[in-house]
Amino acid sequence: MALTCDRVRELASGFVLGALEPDEMAAVRHHVDHCRKPHQELAELGGILPYLAVAPEPVEPPAWLRGSVIAAVKADFQARRPDEHRVVERVAATATTSAPSVLPDATVISLEGVRRSRSSRAVTWITRIAAAVAVVALAGYAFAIQSDLNKAKQDQSHLAAVLNVIGQPDTIKVSLTDNEGKGANGFVALRPNGHVIVNLNGLAVTHGDETYMVWLTGANNVPVKVGAFTVGDDGKGWVEVENVSTSASMWISVCREPNSNATKPTGPTILSGTISL
Amino acid sequence: MGAAPALVTPDNQADWHSEAELMRQVAAGDTGGLETLYDRYHAMAYALALRITTETGLAEDVVQDSFLGVWRNAARYAEPKGSVRGWLLAIVRHRAIDAIRRQRIGVALGDTTDDTLPASLTIPDIWPEVAGRLDAEQVRQALTALPPAQREVIELAYFDGLTQREIATHTNAPLGTVKSRMRLGLVALRQQLVGDTDGRADVPALGVAASAGKKGLV
Repeated sequence: MALTCDRVRELASGFVLGALEPDEMAAVRHHVDHCRKPHQELAELGGILPYLAVAPEPVEPPAWLRGSVIAAVKADFQARRPDEHRVVERVAATATTSAPSVLPDATVISLEGVRRSRSSRAVTWITRIAAAVAVVALAGYAFAIQSDLNKAKQDQSHLAAVLNVIGQPDTIKVSLTDNEGKGANGFVALRPNGHVIVNLNGLAVTHGDETYMVWLTGANNVPVKVGAFTVGDDGKGWVEVENVSTSASMWISVCREPNSNATKPTGPTILSGTISL
Repeated sequence: MGAAPALVTPDNQADWHSEAELMRQVAAGDTGGLETLYDRYHAMAYALALRITTETGLAEDVVQDSFLGVWRNAARYAEPKGSVRGWLLAIVRHRAIDAIRRQRIGVALGDTTDDTLPASLTIPDIWPEVAGRLDAEQVRQALTALPPAQREVIELAYFDGLTQREIATHTNAPLGTVKSRMRLGLVALRQQLVGDTDGRADVPALGVAASAGKKGLV
């Protein structure tokens, strides 16, 4: 569809609002791309749009959305930079395997020092102590790196699961309400086939036998335990279960129980929400 | 819903350029830059997505998808074509309209691979000089001041993603009337927000429309 400049001016308001039919939109685009004359009317009217966009009163989204957005971006970053990711894993692997190789070398050096002379014995002992400290420090460092790496892999695995489930068109996603007002947050993603993911943040650390339990209560009003977990310093909780029985409307609650033997919710409800399929 | 968060947005040319630097950081793979953008604009983005989709779950998906789109396409942001805020919100609107159109025709939402930029992104933003003295309240007042019929067609197009033909069906008005109302409404909105067109000789269509508007055609 070839358009004249006058016709483009007539269509300008519909074009900037994206309210023309697809063929008209394409024709205006094509004309503007190839026309030597300036079509200032498009800029004049189109300049209004950024201001229409701020007309709605700002609304604060759920707090978990920030973490979800940033996690998705970081996952995308990792996915697009496989080489850098491999380097990180190689460094971590090297650090993990280096600790045992340090131990024999350090031991040999210190024993040789013992054999040299009585006058050098003090220096040798200092060397041995320093070597032992170094070994312990290196082993601790390697352990910390391995822990971080395992944690990162676990987070990455959880993130991949979340993205996979949330990406399904039939997934229901519900933000959970912080009942205690202590900053806990999270969401549940549920598919009609019973695949459930519960992702939680800001939880208090569990001590002793304390356990967080996730309960689903359906139409029969009987709570069913979906999963249980303990929480460390990162305040995160995670449950993923397949084949959970679902009903049209369900109540989900996350309770902190004194031990893992609870067969029904007894402790305080930390987070909760309603799921409607 | 609590009190509406304050609008935090660059309101002068210097801040606008610093935002362009922020976009360069994002394009270079700095996730911290994207966190800054999120912290600055999440409430506006969510409000727009919610206004268009009217569903919190869908709005959340749209916001996440939009910031991911910003992350992936940051290198395509062109400073002369408009502010970062305008660019981001245009993406949010594009994604939100796409979501409700898919919903209308029963197409499932999936990972958005459509990177086609909305029409507004191809149009230079010629208003940076007035951005500092415009706030959301003024825009809302300007919209309210429009004749109801003009406001309706603009809102149906902008916030509901309807085409002129669909608006004609929806409002039971002739297509030509819808087109006139849309043009008159946009021109009137522009006049409300930034004053007259200063007699620009290169916008004859706007001049005709503005004159028609003054004759009371709605």
